[in-house]
Amino acid sequence: MPDMPTPADRALRVGVCGPVGTGKSSLIALLCSQLAGSLDLAVVTNDIYTDEDARFLRSAGVLDPERIRAVETGACPHTAIRDDITANLLAVEQMEEDFAPLDIVIVESGGDNLTATFSPALVDTQVFIIDVAGGGDVARKGGPGITRADLLVVNKTDLAPYVGVDPLEMVADAAAVRNGRPVIALSRGDHASVTALTDWLLTQFAEHRAGHLVPTDPGPMAPHAHTDGTVHGNVHPQDAERVRRDGDDVRHDAHA
Amino acid sequence: MPVTVTPELLLMLLADARLPTSGHTQSAGLEPAVAHGVPSAEVPDYIDLRLRTVTRVEAAAAVVALHHLRQGLSLAQVETAWAARTPSAAMRATSRAMGRATQRVVRRLWPNDPSVRVLGPGASRAIVLAAAADACGLAPVALARLVGYDDVQCVASAALKLLPLDPADVSAWVLDALPAVDRLAVEVAPLTVPGSIPASGAPQIEAWAEAHAVATRRLFSA
Repeated sequence: MPDMPTPADRALRVGVCGPVGTGKSSLIALLCSQLAGSLDLAVVTNDIYTDEDARFLRSAGVLDPERIRAVETGACPHTAIRDDITANLLAVEQMEEDFAPLDIVIVESGGDNLTATFSPALVDTQVFIIDVAGGGDVARKGGPGITRADLLVVNKTDLAPYVGVDPLEMVADAAAVRNGRPVIALSRGDHASVTALTDWLLTQFAEHRAGHLVPTDPGPMAPHAHTDGTVHGNVHPQDAERVRRDGDDVRHDAHA
Repeated sequence: MPVTVTPELLLMLLADARLPTSGHTQSAGLEPAVAHGVPSAEVPDYIDLRLRTVTRVEAAAAVVALHHLRQGLSLAQVETAWAARTPSAAMRATSRAMGRATQRVVRRLWPNDPSVRVLGPGASRAIVLAAAADACGLAPVALARLVGYDDVQCVASAALKLLPLDPADVSAWVLDALPAVDRLAVEVAPLTVPGSIPASGAPQIEAWAEAHAVATRRLFSA
C-alpha cells in the first residue's frame, strides 16, 4: 500500500514514461543490452494500441522474450500507471514470482502526453523522456514528469543539428525547472551519456537494495505559482520555499 | 461480519467503475465483435445477447457461490461448474485475471471477512464477487444485478472507445438494458446448486474471445 516502506527484497520497479515517439522502448532496449548480463531484468509494456513495444523489445534480442509482457490498457495508458494501477501491478508481481529473484522490473507506459506520470504505488523510481526532435521548447513547457520525475532524459541529441535545436539549451531549460534533479542528454551513440544513464539506474538499484529509496510522486500537474503568491499543484516544501523566495512565476502553461 | 452501512451503498461501491479492478482494460468482448463486423447500431443487441448467455452463466455462478459461502460449503464445485459452462479458455483466463484484480481490492476492503479469506488466488470473477457480496451482506438478487449491470456498463464504456458515439445515446442503451438485467437477476437468484447453473454459452462470442486472445492489435485485454 502507498505508505508502506519499499521492500528492499523485491525487485526495483522502474517506470519509463513520456510522449509517443520520444524513445521509451529504445531506452529500455538500451538498458537491457547494457545490464542484462549482470542483472536479472524483466519488462512490462503498456502499448496504447498494440503490443508493438513488447514485440520490438523481443525482436531486439536484449532479453529473454518470456521476460517481456504486454498489458493492454483499454486506451487509458494514463489510468493504468496512475489511478488504477491494478493490471500493471499484478503483471509486475507475476513477473517477480515467475522469474524470482528479479533485480529490476521496468514498466513502460504507453506513450501519453506531458502530464502522465507513474503512481509511487506502482514504481519505486521513474524516468521521463522527451527528445530534441519534439521541439526545443518542450522542456520549458514543463509538466510533472519534466519537473519532478526522478530522472529526465532528453533523448536523440544526435538529431539536434537536423531539427534546429540546441540540446545544451534544452537541458539547461530542464535543469532550471527541476530544482537539482538529474537530467541526462542521451544519444545511443554517445557512450558517455549511456554510461550516465546506466550509472543512474545502478545507483537507484543500490539505494533500493539498501532500503533507502523512497518513491516520490511527480504530482498530477507541474507545481506553479501565480504572481500574487498563490501556489498551485503538487508543490514539495523545498519548491514552495524556492517559489516564495524567488517570486518566480513558474509554468502557467502546464494546465494546457 | 457486522455491516453498518446500507446494502444499497455497498452495492454502489461494488458497481462503481472507479473501483480499482482494472475494468478499463476490458470491453466484455466488444472489441473483437466490432473487429468482426458488429456495427454500432447492433451493440444493444450484443448487450442483450450477453445477458441471455455468458453473463447469465456468470451471474448464476456468483449466486450459487454466495449460497455456498453462506452455508460453509466448498467453492470448488462452483468453480468447476462455472468453468465447464465457460468453454472458451480465453474467457476463463480473463475471468480469473479479473478475479485476481478484484480480489486485490476486496482483500484490502474486507481483510477479515471469512468469505474473503477463503478465496484462492485463481478464483474466477464470479466467485470473488460472491465473496464481496457476502462481506457486504448483499442478497443473491443484488449480486446477480451487480454482475449483469457491470457487464452492460463494460460493453457501453468500451463502445465509446471503439465506435464514434454520443455518450448520452450509450447511456440510453444502458437504461434500455436494465429490465433484462432485472429479469436475469430474478431468474438466477434462487439457484443454490452448482448443477443448476445454466449452460447458456454463446459460441460466436466465445470464438471471438479466442480470436482476440491471439490478436496483435488490441486496445482491450478482452
